[in-house]
Amino acid sequence: MYNRGYYIALVIILGAFLQCSAQDCDLTIRGYVIDESSQAPLAYVNLYIQETQSGTTTDETGFFSLDKICMGHYHIIVSHIGCEDEKFHCDILSDTILNLTLSHTPISLGTVVVSSQKEDYNNQANLSVNRSVIEDNSHLNISGLLENETGVSLLKNGNGISKPVVHGLYGNRLIILNNGVAQSGQQWGNDHSPEIDPFALDKITIIKGANALEYGSGNLGAVILSEPKRIAKEPHLHGQVNYAYETNGRGQTLNTRLGKYSEALAWRLTGSLKRYGDRETPDYFLNNTGLEEANLSIQLEKTYNEKIFLDFYASTFNTRLGVLRGSHISNLTDLERALSQEEPFFTEPDFSDEIEAPMQEVSHHLAKAKAKYFISDNQIIEFVVSGQVNNRKEFDIRRSGRSEIPALSLFQSTVGADLSYGFTTENNWKLKFGNQTAFAKNTNNPETGIFPLIPNYTTLKSGLFGTATYSKDALTYNFGLRYDIEDQIVLGLTTSFPREVVRYDNLFHNFSALVALTAHLSDQQSLSWNVGYAMRNPAINELYSAGLHQGVSGIEEGDPNLNQEKALKNTLEYKWVPGSQFAFNVLGYYQYFEDYIYLNPQDEFRLTIRGAFPVFSYEQADADIIGLDVSTQYTISNSLLGLLKYSYLKGENRGQGEPLIFMPPNSLFASLTYRGHNTRMLTESLNMEDTEIEVTNRYVFRQNNLLDEQDFLAAPEAYNLFGLKVSTNFILPQYKIRGYLKVDNLFNTQYRDYLNRQRYFANDVGRSLVIGLNLKF
Amino acid sequence: MKTHNLPLWALLFSLVLFVACDPEEPGDGPEPELITTLNYTLTPTDGEVVVLTFQDPDGDGGDAPVISSGTLSANTTYVGTIELLNESVDPVEDITEEVEEEDEEHQFFFMSTVAGLTVDYADQDEDDNPVGLTSSLTTGDASTGTLTINLIHEPQKDADGVATGDISNAGGESDIEVTFSIVVQ
Repeated sequence: MYNRGYYIALVIILGAFLQCSAQDCDLTIRGYVIDESSQAPLAYVNLYIQETQSGTTTDETGFFSLDKICMGHYHIIVSHIGCEDEKFHCDILSDTILNLTLSHTPISLGTVVVSSQKEDYNNQANLSVNRSVIEDNSHLNISGLLENETGVSLLKNGNGISKPVVHGLYGNRLIILNNGVAQSGQQWGNDHSPEIDPFALDKITIIKGANALEYGSGNLGAVILSEPKRIAKEPHLHGQVNYAYETNGRGQTLNTRLGKYSEALAWRLTGSLKRYGDRETPDYFLNNTGLEEANLSIQLEKTYNEKIFLDFYASTFNTRLGVLRGSHISNLTDLERALSQEEPFFTEPDFSDEIEAPMQEVSHHLAKAKAKYFISDNQIIEFVVSGQVNNRKEFDIRRSGRSEIPALSLFQSTVGADLSYGFTTENNWKLKFGNQTAFAKNTNNPETGIFPLIPNYTTLKSGLFGTATYSKDALTYNFGLRYDIEDQIVLGLTTSFPREVVRYDNLFHNFSALVALTAHLSDQQSLSWNVGYAMRNPAINELYSAGLHQGVSGIEEGDPNLNQEKALKNTLEYKWVPGSQFAFNVLGYYQYFEDYIYLNPQDEFRLTIRGAFPVFSYEQADADIIGLDVSTQYTISNSLLGLLKYSYLKGENRGQGEPLIFMPPNSLFASLTYRGHNTRMLTESLNMEDTEIEVTNRYVFRQNNLLDEQDFLAAPEAYNLFGLKVSTNFILPQYKIRGYLKVDNLFNTQYRDYLNRQRYFANDVGRSLVIGLNLKF
Repeated sequence: MKTHNLPLWALLFSLVLFVACDPEEPGDGPEPELITTLNYTLTPTDGEVVVLTFQDPDGDGGDAPVISSGTLSANTTYVGTIELLNESVDPVEDITEEVEEEDEEHQFFFMSTVAGLTVDYADQDEDDNPVGLTSSLTTGDASTGTLTINLIHEPQKDADGVATGDISNAGGESDIEVTFSIVVQ
């Protein structure tokens, strides 16, 4: 539902030949819109002049003409159905020829992203979520936006807490870049969401190949890039206000974004507020599953001269997330009692928007400054400094008013500096070298009065990388090498009395390498092969966890002798786009792990005064993941578009001869979209255009690759969810209002999802209606 | 680079000059909520007092707990009182008081596999629901088995069977679940 089939990365080449000869209101703006890759004319592209409230649409030859224009300054909005609008400012002083090139790329099929920064994603399997998808789904968190992408699943704890899983990897194995800075925080926890406000972003790209070497160490196969775009050269104050109401949870989301460009300083401000109460399954409310969120970000940009570009970004993200009351249990007996219930314990007959323990309170702050120095046309230096603060408090039900005191309280601060040098040689080799250094300090706040699950530590990481890209004829080559050094200093406590401080000092050396090759077999077909080797250090929780992990009701024990995890990932991707009607993409991958680190349930139970707890130990074994992502798109007619995606994945623990746990089940996604090309005039000054009706269907298979003894409860049955969305744009003088209405889980289907921890206790959420309005000015 | 940009660059570089310091010393703070010890004292009207004890002074993990077993007389009624202690702090903290103060939010459950052994509640909270800090234990003929004591925090005391000691619908989470070997002779 989130993917619109088409994405336009608009590269506007203003071939405007301005000739000064003052005339009356008799000027014309004419031109052609062509597709960048095929050079074919693009029909049905809307051009709209905001000031005159007049507009036109390109014809079959891509031609448009706007007549009777007065001399002046205008904002022209270019839109193509199902795509993000682009607005630019131009001065019309005479008859003007405006030739526009649209990069009209079916991104949902994972083709090359053409972005204004011309990043080299050439040989990588990419997916991206664009601004229009973000705006139409402002009620979702960043993980939720990615859910319908091929090869992506969500690991959840209820509806509010979720983290993305790409090709079976999540948490420490995945890097999330927020605005160019690796998101720090407590990524090890399966019930910890990434703390990023999607409304501040313009694009979320998932790089699935094992080759994103410049983005940091430890990523064994995927990187999620979330980034805002450059501030548009728009001298007037512009912005948008967005509001969405969701019936399930009675949730409200309010976002606003303001920006203005000037030579002196360009700025953009984004704010989001969100509040949800208890979610609802088809049969009952999920007690204490509300959430609150308040975020703010500021982006400043300054171009000093042709050579220096500075960019500053700061954001604050603050949330309170309720956890289903009935999922808060202690020992195994409690779990058995909970499993035998039809409805979760503590289910209330009425809706409530109160959030009490168990809950999480998390705030994350980021500040980043980036300087780009263009030494010459073919050389660039980039320098980034960043600081992050992450404060996580988790509250449990405790005796004697101690529910107010967090049971887990972690404070992390990270500072980082990245330096890179990019160079294009005369024979067109693109080279990039760089260093990334980051220091992180993680501290348990002593306020909890509970023995901490993970110890205090600091890590100092530094990495050197070099990448090279070369294109010749129909072939594109990518090479990369990376070396990282990491120093971990850990101060923990013994689990037995008297408590003594134990110190560990670890030094790791890591190497990563990649080779990728893309062959453009013809205008319509390409084949990419990508092989990457990477190493990941055992994380602090994998090494030193000791004690009860309340979130999962188990005793977790780290192993200080764990080795680095090594992974070799191979991907092979084939794309076939025979004309504009049909597109097909298939990506197969095989990833082999040496010393894959996982939590292995032990045969023993640990007897405590609170009863018996299962014991999980971090262990290593060789493992592999094999998978396939297929997507096809078919333009049935001018106004009807069909989309079909399928993801297959199988993970095996080779050392133990059993399946890997927490692997996403296979899934199928289909959508059918009707697009109305006509503009409907409602009144003299109110038009309605780009009306869309979309029906979606997501089928998630049962996870059959799981042994009974690997989980407390068998994997849930397959489920099938339908969705419906109607959206339209209302065009008013000066403004454009987008309205949409969406129904998720249309038939109120009862289901449970394998990757949602809440499945032990309750059904997943039922039908929900979302109404949203977005005003742009 | 123009000269007037230098302060800006200097500022950026100075941000990078951080000192790699050691992690914070972990706070070996008290764990006031920890229950390390349960004493179930059984006093017969006539005869020897029996104390069933579960003791785990270092909490979850670390050293294994020490559990006593009990020998009870057949066909006898005992008055049972429960004492909860946190022996990891000095002075030792009496957790029994916390449970007394929040007795609406707590209930003990007694489950026995010993033939003829029953435990009845002998106390009530303000809503006239049982708590179990004081109980009455009655033995039958000679037998052996186990007795499990479970303290549930925030039980749903109104749920079916909970007031009579059936744990299945109680909800909440276990603050205590200990099992003793019992010989009735």
